[in-house]
Amino acid sequence: MTWRSPLALMRDALRGQRARDKELRNLVSNLPYEGLDKAKQPNRHFPSNAIKTTKYTLLLFIPMNLFEQFHRLANIYFVGLAILNFIPVVNAFQPEVALIPICVILSLTAMKDAWEDFRRYQSDRKLNNTPCLIYSKEKQFMERRWKDVRVGDFVKVVCNEIVPADLLLLHTSDPNSVCHIETANLDGETNLKQRTVVSGFLFEPESFTGVVVCEKPNNNLNHFKCYEKPDKERAGAGIESLLLRGCTVRNTDHAVGFVVYAHETKSMLNNNGSRYKRSKLERKLNIDVIFCVILLFAMCLVGALHFLWLQALPGIPPYLVPDSSGHLDGPSLSSFYTFFTMIILLQILIPISLYVSVELVKIGQIFFITNDTDLFDEETDSRMQCKALNITEDLGQIEYIFSDKTGTLTENKMVFRRCSIMGTEYPHKENIRLAVLGEPESEEEVIFNQRPQSLQTGWSLDAEDTTPRDTTQRRGSRHRSKVAGIAQSDVAFSSPLETEVIPDKKLLQQISRAESSSGSRKTDPYLDFFLALAICNTVVVSMATAQRRRSDNLRYEAESPDEAALVYAAKAYGFILLARTPDSVTVRLPSGEDLVFKVLDTLAFDSNRKRMSVLVQHPITKEYVLYTKGADYAIMELLGTPYAQHHLDCYAKEGLRTLCVTKKVVSAKVYESWLVDRQRALAAIDNREELIMDTAVQLETNLSLLATGIEDRLQENVPDTIMALREAGIQVWVLTGDKPETAVNIGYACRLLEEEDLLVIDGRTLTMALSPDLQERFVDLAKRCRSVLCCRVTPLQKSRVVKVIREKLKVMTLAVDGANDVNMIQAADIGIGISGQEGMQAVMASDFAISRFRHLKKLLLVHGHWCYTRLANMIIYFFYKNVAYVNLLFWYQFFCGFSGTAMIDYWLMIFFNLFFTSAPPVMFGIMDKDVSAELLLGVPELYRTGQGAYTFSTFWVSILDAFYQSLVCFFIPYLAYQDSDIDIFTFGTPLNTVSLFTILLHLSIEIKAWTVVHWVIMLGSVALYFVVTLAYSAICVTCNPPSNPYWILQSQMADPMFYLVCLISTVVALLPYTFHVMRNSIAPSPIVQARHLDRLDPSEREQWIKEWRSF
Amino acid sequence: MVKQEQELDNRPDNTAFTQQRLPAWQPMLSAGIVIPGFVLIGLAFIGIGVALFVTSRSIQVLEIDYTGVAQDSPCYRCSDPDTKNCVCTMDFSIDTLFKGPVFFYYGLTNYFQNYRRYGASKDASQLSGDLEYFKNPSSDCSPYQYDNDKPIVPCGSIANSMFNDTFKLYQIVNGARKQVPLDGKGIAWWTDYNVKYRNPSVTPLRNAFNGTVKPVFWSRPAYELDPTDPANNGFINQDFLVWMRRAALPNFRKLYRRITEGDYAEGLPAGNYSLEIAYNYPVLSFDGEKKVVFSNVSWMGGKNEFLGIAYLVIGSLCIVMSIVMLIVYAKFKFPEED
Repeated sequence: MTWRSPLALMRDALRGQRARDKELRNLVSNLPYEGLDKAKQPNRHFPSNAIKTTKYTLLLFIPMNLFEQFHRLANIYFVGLAILNFIPVVNAFQPEVALIPICVILSLTAMKDAWEDFRRYQSDRKLNNTPCLIYSKEKQFMERRWKDVRVGDFVKVVCNEIVPADLLLLHTSDPNSVCHIETANLDGETNLKQRTVVSGFLFEPESFTGVVVCEKPNNNLNHFKCYEKPDKERAGAGIESLLLRGCTVRNTDHAVGFVVYAHETKSMLNNNGSRYKRSKLERKLNIDVIFCVILLFAMCLVGALHFLWLQALPGIPPYLVPDSSGHLDGPSLSSFYTFFTMIILLQILIPISLYVSVELVKIGQIFFITNDTDLFDEETDSRMQCKALNITEDLGQIEYIFSDKTGTLTENKMVFRRCSIMGTEYPHKENIRLAVLGEPESEEEVIFNQRPQSLQTGWSLDAEDTTPRDTTQRRGSRHRSKVAGIAQSDVAFSSPLETEVIPDKKLLQQISRAESSSGSRKTDPYLDFFLALAICNTVVVSMATAQRRRSDNLRYEAESPDEAALVYAAKAYGFILLARTPDSVTVRLPSGEDLVFKVLDTLAFDSNRKRMSVLVQHPITKEYVLYTKGADYAIMELLGTPYAQHHLDCYAKEGLRTLCVTKKVVSAKVYESWLVDRQRALAAIDNREELIMDTAVQLETNLSLLATGIEDRLQENVPDTIMALREAGIQVWVLTGDKPETAVNIGYACRLLEEEDLLVIDGRTLTMALSPDLQERFVDLAKRCRSVLCCRVTPLQKSRVVKVIREKLKVMTLAVDGANDVNMIQAADIGIGISGQEGMQAVMASDFAISRFRHLKKLLLVHGHWCYTRLANMIIYFFYKNVAYVNLLFWYQFFCGFSGTAMIDYWLMIFFNLFFTSAPPVMFGIMDKDVSAELLLGVPELYRTGQGAYTFSTFWVSILDAFYQSLVCFFIPYLAYQDSDIDIFTFGTPLNTVSLFTILLHLSIEIKAWTVVHWVIMLGSVALYFVVTLAYSAICVTCNPPSNPYWILQSQMADPMFYLVCLISTVVALLPYTFHVMRNSIAPSPIVQARHLDRLDPSEREQWIKEWRSF
Repeated sequence: MVKQEQELDNRPDNTAFTQQRLPAWQPMLSAGIVIPGFVLIGLAFIGIGVALFVTSRSIQVLEIDYTGVAQDSPCYRCSDPDTKNCVCTMDFSIDTLFKGPVFFYYGLTNYFQNYRRYGASKDASQLSGDLEYFKNPSSDCSPYQYDNDKPIVPCGSIANSMFNDTFKLYQIVNGARKQVPLDGKGIAWWTDYNVKYRNPSVTPLRNAFNGTVKPVFWSRPAYELDPTDPANNGFINQDFLVWMRRAALPNFRKLYRRITEGDYAEGLPAGNYSLEIAYNYPVLSFDGEKKVVFSNVSWMGGKNEFLGIAYLVIGSLCIVMSIVMLIVYAKFKFPEED
């Protein structure tokens, strides 16, 4: 290391900062600089690939962790109290002892943090030391570690290896210059994706002298742009040439890439931890904590009335202790001190342990939710996942559900079912039968219409046709709506229904006739239809490989199930898609002839155009042909006349998903001119997307064509689930991109729409309805409708609808989506992702992920109800418990001159909160079961009733109850022992015991179902109290001066009065509960009635539920 | 299909616990349980109440206030704080035999022995006989830690404020005074006497106190608290132990002596008595009262009518409530039962 002046170092650091912040980065190869000083490395400003996700270092753990923890207000409060206790004039306990609770809490949290951080450290180390191949001066790839990878290196990845950094693909072993990757680690999608080598880049590492200009790192997984500038000609590259860190290379022997981002990779930038949401209950809880603070202050002010008492004294009594100089504090100063002493004494009124207990309860609740076998999906072998850990109870508070259609209500698994070509419908009846016999849920229909006259005129016209170079821009098609999904299993879209299509006899005849008459040369509409189906897609054909085996050695991996379905349909008619490379598509015709179409460009799907096109050159006719496929309305606007509209409407009414396929022949001249624009757009850094889209739109004009319709079947039990949710008082809205007819049909199918009180609104109207001046009225109208159906809405509109309803009506909203509607999911209070067929982005952004829509029923009606009532009751109980216990100390202040004396040993007070009464409420919060799952599912109306467990009044009622109980627990022993020779701790012992029994029995009454666990914990707590207290009072002779509990409980337990006092105090304290009982008997709440039903045997219960619900 | 079955690694355990199907007892507090329950509780409570009440009524208590605030009180003279070594005599008579063993208490009112800083003002190590703390008492004792730079033993406010009135009881038999023997043994807690408080193992005891001074308020040093019994001195003096066990409430009594010996083993016979009080303890500074209490005890301790009445009241209340509930029950017919 040579010496460098600090100034130079600083200058370098500044330069580095600037280089990192620039919008565009210039990267060069590291090779020429290998072995040189760090200061001479051109890419030294960019971070290396070593990752560090740990929060702490070994040395700084304690200060940093404490700093973190003190961000919690409660912790500061308790540390403040502990410090206050070190001030002699105000302390209530021995200073050291007062530190115990906060120390316990802080160290427990610190231990948890340390453990988590250690695990992160371990996984970091493992990742950083993963081997990889980097090209070195020795002119070969050397084995290095991931952490050694730097920007500007050449990295080689082999099959099944994970990509160590974001690589610009320069070379692959594949003859077609593609590299297949699997992005399961990033977005959970398991289908293969193709990445293509950047065209125009030199591969030879030694001779790589160009500069790669790329944009600043960002977290968009589907977007990247860069260009190389070795000379004048810019060669642009996008996401289609980028291998992302974390992806796995598949089906490609090896690939070489240039590192553009190390450390700041897209996957790392996407990794921003779990989101923190605060539940409604928690917000209420915080308000109540503030009430507790007010209560505490009020009680402390009462304590400060001390001075009145002091002033009333005629002289200086012997029990007042002067300070060392022999002076007594004046009454007002003394009151001031008393105020603080009282705060210390009554501090547990602010329940520090409540927060810890709530966390514990939520962990337990999540354990039970994720372990529910009813929420487990066998098909995908996936459990329910809770991604947000702290809003379980909000599941019990839902008032509005916003649901997407495709992949949420429906299977999103498609089979070719029907088609209509040349105005003739081919119903494929055999297919229907197959579907019914096999797997009735998933069916699909494809309708193909071809306009007869278009054969001559419409097919081949028009100017702006040009064929660009290929770029498979597949990521664009991730957009939801028409082009859907991805399989969850490792075999994408391969259900028997998709693959087994039984051809319609009539159509087969048509094809064979067309073939025999025209051969492969003539553009017969029937042949064209199936060619279009086989070609116009982005389906990847993969051969059987070891880890992705299939009986049949052709396998289609599609990003959307309808694409796969269409390809399989074509296959069934003999048009077999054999291979797809970026440059060509090979299709085998029914005659057995293989046609290799040259792919000139693929205009990928995007949500604005809602269609995709493939431009190919016919091998025989040499014509440039553009096949376009898209949503019917997206295609129809490009066709002159709304032809085949009748069939489309017909299918839409049956709930079919309709797609249109078009063909257009592009002249060479048009293609050439278009190509120039296209290339310019591809190489652009700014507005690349828009430019590319514009070029796509340019080409997709004056189409002439054919139409198809697809049906996506409902998932199982969807109608039942929606019915139940509506009976539970939840408003269900369906927001879909489908056309109104389809949407309404689905609405009827899933029993969302039954009566007339329905609102169907389409996207354009919705835009107006959501405008500020109409919002109020729209919301008002929507509120009155039993169901609302929004069709043809864009993802952005969906999230706006959710936001508007949520804000205007102040209701709890839940959004369900099975695809990529991240916006909507994040706009709602709770976002639920269905990890079904389409992309996993919704699941990634969701708070809870389920695999079937029907799981929503149990998740909300049972788990939501339970989680909410459990937690609400637990929190109320916790407040009650603390107030009831602390008030004993408060009442005693009236009899000890407000001096802050505690009549219970401080250690026992700590034990009381820490051991004797902590486990039961947590268990209660995790395990109590007010009504059985069967009944909650059977009577969905209970969901609504369960929502009011925690209201403003319940808090105050429980506080009043706590006041009453503490009065009883204090004054009955007080009256029983007054004027006697009882000493302080002997007096405190029955108080402590009585409140233990009262608090635990109170909980016992609250517990609705006693399992073994309940018995063990409740009896264990009582046993623990006696064992620990007896042991403590036997061992501690002078261990805790000045308080001294030696032999107190022992002597008390030898006295019959002790038991008599405890008995009557407990009974009187719990007596008001009987009013509760009387109320429950005279006018039972639905929940209580349900609990009665729970006690009946199942058949009798069925009967009752039926009768009850018929009211 | 077969392949799928094997692959279900994520399937949750299907146990009663994880599926929340543990067999559970679901108690319902319905009227059918509550009414008989109330009747039972009511009856049991009335039974206990009667027993307590009867027992409490059988306990005889005699309280004599000797504060001397009233001018006609024999101790009026002594209540003046300036009067030293004042002795006053209270006469009283007993109509029937006061059954023995009779417990003889002194009582104070408005005296906050439970005051926090007062309670902390002692040195437990010193009181357990640790000589180290004889020289250096704990600072908890401040300002009763040192007196003119000499350590105070026993230090602290509690010891300093020890009650120092003494009593002698005479029965007037034919105009002559016959002293009633008072038993001062075993009036403190056994654990205090044997475990918590220890004299240093130095003989004679007074040597241990060399270099220390007595508490400011005391007239005699700790090793001379009981001139009649050398074993009853130092920290294990019974009166000292009784005082050191701080009362829970501001109005309290503390055991002074028991009357268990001689002619009085059966109790105090009817007749006239005279109580001679060495009046030392000032109580006017806190509006306190001083009294002497004679009481016999039962299994339930001293006289306390509250508990018996409370049991009776709650017991009856339960019965009444069960009747009310029964009426309500009959009138409303519970929905779940029809």
